[in-house]
Amino acid sequence: MGMQGGTDHLQSEINVTPMVDIMLVLLIIFMVVTPFLQQGITVAFPRDLRNPDEDQAINKESSVIISVPRDGEYYMGKKKVNLEDLKSAVEKALSTKKEEDKIVYIKSGIDVSYGDVVKVINAVREKGVDRIGLVADKKKGKAAQPAAPAT
Amino acid sequence: MAMGGSANRAVPYINVTPLIDVLLVLLIIFMVVTPARPSRFKADIPTQRDPNEDVSKLKPNPLTLVVSISTDLQLKLNSEAMGSVNDPSALAAKLQMTFQQRKEQHAYKYGMEGASNIPEDQRIEKTVFVKAPRALKYGEVVKVIDAIKGAGANPIGLQVDDLP
Repeated sequence: MGMQGGTDHLQSEINVTPMVDIMLVLLIIFMVVTPFLQQGITVAFPRDLRNPDEDQAINKESSVIISVPRDGEYYMGKKKVNLEDLKSAVEKALSTKKEEDKIVYIKSGIDVSYGDVVKVINAVREKGVDRIGLVADKKKGKAAQPAAPAT
Repeated sequence: MAMGGSANRAVPYINVTPLIDVLLVLLIIFMVVTPARPSRFKADIPTQRDPNEDVSKLKPNPLTLVVSISTDLQLKLNSEAMGSVNDPSALAAKLQMTFQQRKEQHAYKYGMEGASNIPEDQRIEKTVFVKAPRALKYGEVVKVIDAIKGAGANPIGLQVDDLP
């Protein structure tokens, strides 16, 4: 970085190699982490709806997410369970939670019959849950109608 | 840098600028895409029924709103026909009107009449129950819930007993 000038060993170029290194590492980190950010399994849950509320808790490791990708298939987190195991798993997962945090998220595919969702609801309410969150994707952009303030 | 070349005009430099451009763009794309904001509809479900409970003593609430969906995708608010699942705008409009009326008439939730410390909007009875047959697709039910939520209903309850 000689400031003296004149001679031809003046190097006026920035050394970008470390920057490229960092960029590449960041890029790889993001590429690797992205698929893990989604909790549970991939489900064709309802998309482009207008009024669901955002809830960052869905992405939390500790929240209880029951996925129903197809009729008769139930997943708790990433593990496939049957309806009976689901009850005990939900009970276990909620046992450490405070009363106001006892919410179970249901991520169901749009082609699943409502009866199957009701089966899950019936299973969780046996364990004292009275609030559920139906996971749905919000349409990008603003809501068409102003939603009422949530309690 | 010189690899033993005799002349010093050979500069073995790769032009990394386009590479950095591409990398930065990719990085930004990933950063934007990553926080896919999850959202959900909150719904209440009834707790387990006590079989010994005497339900005959419970008084029906005259303000109860039940949206029922029939197997042929028609909607009903209480017993009034309200369009179909694919066009729930009539239902949403009717619900909004009902809530507005209730606000004017001060139709509060049971037990909330005197709770003046809570904002007026939250004391108005806006509970809506959704009743759908088991054979219906979940996607259709969620569409209706979306419309009901948009009309300002809060809380939304799912009826899960005695479904057709």
